[in-house]
Amino acid sequence: MPFVVPIERAQEEFPQFTFISPLTPSAQKAAFHVRDEDGLDLCLKIISPHHRMDERFQREVQFLQSINHPNIAKLIEYTFSSRPGEYRHFMIEEFIEGDDLTEKLHNGEAWPRTESSSFFSMLCDGLSQCYLKGVVHRDLKPSNIRVKSNNFPVIIDFGLARHLNLPDITGTSQGAQIGTKTYFSPEQWSGTKYDIDHRTDLFALGILLYQAVIGEHPFYRDDMTEQELQDAICLSNDCLSDTKFRELPHQWKLILERLLKKERSERPNTADQVATILRKIGGV
Amino acid sequence: MRRGPWHQFGDRSQRLAIEQIENGKGVGVIISPRDLAYRHAIRYAQVYHDLSVQVLLDPQFYVPDFSNRNLISYPTNDIRTIVSQMQPLSEVELARLASAIREVNNEINADGIIAPAVIYQAGRQDIIQMNSRLFRVAKNVGDEIGIPTYASVVMGRSATSSEQTIDAILGPVTSLNADGWYFAFEFEPERIPSSHDAIYRFCVAGLKLAYTGKPVLHAYAGPMALLSFGFGATATGIGHCQNLWRFCVGRWQPRGRNGGRGDAPARYFSKSLWGTIIYPEEFSSLSIDLQSTVLSPSLFSTLVNPGQPFLQFSRWDANKHLVYTICSTVGEISESLDPRTNASAAITLLQNSISLHGTIAGMGLTLRDDTNIYQENWRTALNELLESRASEYDYLELLRS
Repeated sequence: MPFVVPIERAQEEFPQFTFISPLTPSAQKAAFHVRDEDGLDLCLKIISPHHRMDERFQREVQFLQSINHPNIAKLIEYTFSSRPGEYRHFMIEEFIEGDDLTEKLHNGEAWPRTESSSFFSMLCDGLSQCYLKGVVHRDLKPSNIRVKSNNFPVIIDFGLARHLNLPDITGTSQGAQIGTKTYFSPEQWSGTKYDIDHRTDLFALGILLYQAVIGEHPFYRDDMTEQELQDAICLSNDCLSDTKFRELPHQWKLILERLLKKERSERPNTADQVATILRKIGGV
Repeated sequence: MRRGPWHQFGDRSQRLAIEQIENGKGVGVIISPRDLAYRHAIRYAQVYHDLSVQVLLDPQFYVPDFSNRNLISYPTNDIRTIVSQMQPLSEVELARLASAIREVNNEINADGIIAPAVIYQAGRQDIIQMNSRLFRVAKNVGDEIGIPTYASVVMGRSATSSEQTIDAILGPVTSLNADGWYFAFEFEPERIPSSHDAIYRFCVAGLKLAYTGKPVLHAYAGPMALLSFGFGATATGIGHCQNLWRFCVGRWQPRGRNGGRGDAPARYFSKSLWGTIIYPEEFSSLSIDLQSTVLSPSLFSTLVNPGQPFLQFSRWDANKHLVYTICSTVGEISESLDPRTNASAAITLLQNSISLHGTIAGMGLTLRDDTNIYQENWRTALNELLESRASEYDYLELLRS
């Protein structure tokens, strides 16, 4: 269930901002497009009281605030305070004008490969910047990628997933309820915390790239149960037998196949590598 | 990491390394603290640098509770002892380790740091975590002094028993922010590893390290260096002692005398057999033509000629000849940057060697050094690698092009 905060209540809690519109909420946070007193557009994220940050996040905040990369949304402020009768836990990020990547990925509609190459290599540039400092996204999915009007991608919520305790991976829910898990890697389904690293994000990137290039999600199908989704992600390579996939140029098949490897040591080692390869193969 | 054969010797071999380098063989030297006291390591490192080859030092934390008088002369010694308890190191201990790594690598003017690591064993998360911490310390020092840091990936036999156990280690290991890999496998205790399955798993593991896009140094290779560049290695460690022809954990375990005997007969390493002929009477039993085919002359084998017994061939000359021959052959192979081409070159050499062994056996002669037990398995393993891992080779090509 998404954490929803009515915009009126949010406005009362944060009178210093002018609230422009609500943004897509998630289970961990409500989000709003706001404007500060200087007229600067920002993204305010109110974090659900059910999700407390651990100490490591506090340390990571400084790093996230220091990142200055065009493909990563800048973290401007992070506040956590708790006193009797008052609990405040929120973040303020740079506001990225545009849409979620969700709006651009449609079933049955493949992107031109030149566009895929350019878009995803920029995403890799952003990921790479953070990996150098050991920060992993862990919840890379269309709704966490904003796309500016010039088709420029910006990753939001970097570093949050690990600290906001993603929901347990159990149960047999269907459809939209398992939305976020459609981008999970095999190690997120069946591994331990030690198994999560930057290549977890590269698997999610592989799913997104596959969706862009082929026009379909490589594993998820409508009405799939969670168990079926898990099996598909952890065990199935059917997506690599898809006719559209087989018709791709060899180099495109190679990079997609590598990104979607079940075993993380068989995936590309760095986002940089993927960016280089995507730029190399371009519109082939 | 310079591409090509590196010298990886035990004790009393530094002059041998110098002689080889002076004769154009070898692009680097890996110093072994087990075999060389710290003050001598510093002295010889300077000599190696003067000869324009690269120098690395293997800190040899493999079996951390093992010690000898050479090892204790290094500043890293007391931390190695603490590591043997497999307890998380305190901040103070980590700082001491950093300081020791910095001092050693500065003193020898190392071209890179080989991070200390305990031998990986299956199901030992504690070792993975310990090695990860040790690596991070080394990496910080490497970054600080501006040289690459190579993660040690030395797998014990429990870890190398299946692809699953190997993957369980390579998964976390390849997440390390290493600048390359110092890679070795512990095989069954035999003179030269011969098991097809083990060799195949070894090559797959090496290939997986190679397609991280970072350089791989195949440590403790010996004659197996023939395979290194076929799975995508950048460098390979060659030594003359038999216990350096695979990762031999016994070298770092407290026990009695091991390794080659002082009275071992001279072994002539034959490129065309990719093995050795030890006994003069074996050599004498061959026809002159076959003797010519078996011999692969080098600077150090001038006493061995077709039609003449090589009774005068000394053990040291045999060692020098072996190193020279392996360095020459794998050096030529390493000139190609394409692992497929290199694997094919090794397969061709092995195929010819198998045929030659067959010809010798056809004359009713069985070489007593068991030199014909591994070539076929190596060849099959490499062929299988090329076939079953074609997409990995394609990916390496994509990375390289």
